[in-house]
Amino acid sequence: MSVWKDLYHGDTHFDFVGNRRRWFTISAIIVVLSLGSLVFRQLNLGIDFEGGTLVEVENPAGATVSDVRDAISGLGLADAKVQTTGGGSGVRVQTGQLSQDDEQRLVEAVAAVAGVDPTEANRQSVGPTFGQQVTDSAIRALVVFLIVVALFITWRLEWRMAAAALVALGHDLVFTAGIYSLVGFEVTPATVVAILTILGYSLYDTVVVFDKVQENVKERGERHTISAIVNRSMNQVFMRSVNTSLTSLLPIGSLLFVGSFLLGAATLRQFALALFIGVGTGTYSSIFLAAPLLAIWKEREERWLRVRRRLERKGVDDEFAVKGIITDVEAHDEAQAAASSGAVPRPPRKRKRRR
Amino acid sequence: MGRRAAVITLITTLVIAWGSLLATQAADITPRLGLDLQGGFEVRLEAPSCEDPDVVVQAVEIMRRRIEALGGVQEPEIAVEGDCNVLVQLPGVSDRDRALDAIGTTGQLEFRPVRTISPIPGLSPVFFNVEEPETPTTTTVPGDGSTTTTSPDGGTTTTSPDGGTTTTTAPPDTTTTTVADTTTTTGGDGTTTTAPDSTTTTQPSEPVDPTENVILPEGITWCDEVDQPGCVDPETGLTPNPDPDLDAFLATDFVDEGGIVYHLAPAALLGSDLDGASAQFQQSGGGGGGLGVGGGGAGEWIVLLDFNSEGGRKFAETTAELAGYPLGDPRRQFAIVLDSIVQSAPQVAAGVDPAEGITGGTAVITLGSAENQQSEASQLAVVLRYGSLPVAFEQSAVQSVSATLGEDSLQAGLIAGIGGLLLVAIAMIAYYRALGVVNVIGLTVFGSLMVVAFSLLGEWQGVTLTLAGVAGVIVAVGITSDSYIVYYERIKEEVHRGRSLRAAIDHAFSRSIRTILTADTVSFIGATLLFFLAVGAVKGFALALLIATIIDVLVAVFFTRPAVALLARSRLGEGGSLSIRGATGRAKEVEA
Repeated sequence: MSVWKDLYHGDTHFDFVGNRRRWFTISAIIVVLSLGSLVFRQLNLGIDFEGGTLVEVENPAGATVSDVRDAISGLGLADAKVQTTGGGSGVRVQTGQLSQDDEQRLVEAVAAVAGVDPTEANRQSVGPTFGQQVTDSAIRALVVFLIVVALFITWRLEWRMAAAALVALGHDLVFTAGIYSLVGFEVTPATVVAILTILGYSLYDTVVVFDKVQENVKERGERHTISAIVNRSMNQVFMRSVNTSLTSLLPIGSLLFVGSFLLGAATLRQFALALFIGVGTGTYSSIFLAAPLLAIWKEREERWLRVRRRLERKGVDDEFAVKGIITDVEAHDEAQAAASSGAVPRPPRKRKRRR
Repeated sequence: MGRRAAVITLITTLVIAWGSLLATQAADITPRLGLDLQGGFEVRLEAPSCEDPDVVVQAVEIMRRRIEALGGVQEPEIAVEGDCNVLVQLPGVSDRDRALDAIGTTGQLEFRPVRTISPIPGLSPVFFNVEEPETPTTTTVPGDGSTTTTSPDGGTTTTSPDGGTTTTTAPPDTTTTTVADTTTTTGGDGTTTTAPDSTTTTQPSEPVDPTENVILPEGITWCDEVDQPGCVDPETGLTPNPDPDLDAFLATDFVDEGGIVYHLAPAALLGSDLDGASAQFQQSGGGGGGLGVGGGGAGEWIVLLDFNSEGGRKFAETTAELAGYPLGDPRRQFAIVLDSIVQSAPQVAAGVDPAEGITGGTAVITLGSAENQQSEASQLAVVLRYGSLPVAFEQSAVQSVSATLGEDSLQAGLIAGIGGLLLVAIAMIAYYRALGVVNVIGLTVFGSLMVVAFSLLGEWQGVTLTLAGVAGVIVAVGITSDSYIVYYERIKEEVHRGRSLRAAIDHAFSRSIRTILTADTVSFIGATLLFFLAVGAVKGFALALLIATIIDVLVAVFFTRPAVALLARSRLGEGGSLSIRGATGRAKEVEA
């Protein structure tokens, strides 16, 4: 069977836990690079956080960035950021905080060079205190969210899973923020929304994975080491994760595409960008970080140490002998399923079809 | 799941989902679009202190009435955010100046006793060291009761002085002023107009430094860079940032245009002491001077003030004190100040007992009978009624979105949403075949319910769908697809274990619904917390996610489950590569 077929049928035998050092190294490098970038390059904060004025107009006159710069050069706005959006169909100018009059002059100058009426301009001016409030409220929401979700996972699953999920979450957050600072994308409220979504998504993904682990622990009991069970669970949910990421990334990709090429969708683009990165890293971290972490963590528990010792005494070195487990388990399961349902489903159907 | 139960559940779900969409569309209930999607104006106001949330709530009420009174704004949205923020949204308003006017006068209304009036229009009395203007002669006919105050020329009621003028020559340092008052009295019982118009020109020799030798009232300093409350600007002699507890130098209008400048005592009453104000026409000659509303005939326009109990007491105290000064003395006047501008400065009428003041919690400001007094009276009443915001707000964020750009955003959101849905549909059908079709129909059920939910919330609760909300919905498509994927992968797994298709489907559902519920609970907790704790765009997004999570669970239980159960019984269940079994990849082995 090809790898694709294995994937499709969920018959993969990837050794997620066994290769954990590789994954942990990759994650560690990512986190260190991201943190370094955050420290040395900082985030490019939008006016909603820093305070300032934003003017956005359509651009029927086809003004270029330098046209706009020339037009506003007389206003003493040396630090203004001028951009064209939507492939040149829009102009966006961002400055520090301006007085009402200065803002009006800026809008008139930009509108004139872009060939639109000043009343047709999108304008936004934000005081620095509001940005602080947005940040504060987001941080407060984040902290409460993490506490509540950690409690929920502890209650529904177990505390080690909650801790592993939070580690994966931290990884995703740092990575996304790192990309933002490295590339210099602007951080806007839309980005904050997206990052909060990533939190939800990353946890959601990890919860699905851990739910499977818990189920397998209940079903398989102590016949295998926890690492083997986690590994088996990962292989079972791997296709789910890939598919879910795909179906999530498709609409997000659509947002990103539309946002990049259509005017008026700057918010959509900002949003989609963070999501795109976050969903990708969220899927990665739940499988390659949270799960192996959980496995090595639980290996140290008395219960699983006992299991390991017993299996070693029996001479079953099964920790990463994944194939062996799966055949073993499937044979057992099939027998069990057949016994419990009390019917052998396939042969009768075969007979029917042949008739 | 039994066939009969599955059919009934499925049909009921489809009827509810699609039927409610058709019903809301037929009733013309569609989602209310946010400002960023339809264009409009938004200002976020911040109270300087957030200690008393009631004050902010009261301010919102006042703003709402004020915007409604100004008219022309469809569905204004005024909401309190957090403890001390007010978000005013005026959809469809693209005229920024008009919109700012509508909410710009968010100042504090103060009633301040007058200390002196500058003899020279446009020049602040702070530069004069004179306290005692001459007592002018005034003729006043007492009104019908003690509740009449008379209006001298207030900045808002008359724009230019119309009385006589007196010229006084002043020595360099000390300036002597003479206030000449022209009083017009309209006869008739109970109606009085007193208009002491003081227009005096003085020719002071240019002082070397205007602030030199000037004795400032107690507690007042000259302004430095920060404009601390109550300070006096050394150039204009005005108080740019008056403190209600300190003296203030305020003008009727911009000083450059020759407005009258007053030296005012600390505020005796604030806007919150006032219950209401209305402009009325008071007919003369009606006998008894009863308040009549009428168009023709002799009479005059008045503004009726209604104080609350504490305001009434304070007003009585203040007017008692003012009534102690002789008629025509500026100190007998009090100024109605809104946003640092003196709107009107009526004089306490003759006949008010200095021992009691104006009691009863009501008072009348008499304006006069001239044609233009009608608009003056209603304008003053509006200022009094709606100007009485209890706190001075700061604009912390202002945003205006043009209608065309809003439309563009909406269009972009719709294109992205439809494109994303199509891509998901193609991927799901390619991967899960017949089950993918269930997913696609499920997405239409999900989409219908989302639209209905937003339509109804918009109709009942005024919830708007913003761009962030649209993004939330698009993200929710991913989350709801995941519920199918968890379920379908589980079916595949159960079939691999050798269960019959029907057994696999039932078993897979009971297992996967647990996973879906757990994962959705995490999303639900997140969305709920975000909704209650965050501000701005985050809120709209959280709401979309919240609704989507609930609908996702409903769709899984009431649509996906019966639909898959029925599909398994149909020809698409077992046979062929397009069937469910085909999608599980075990069909060929069965044949072999």
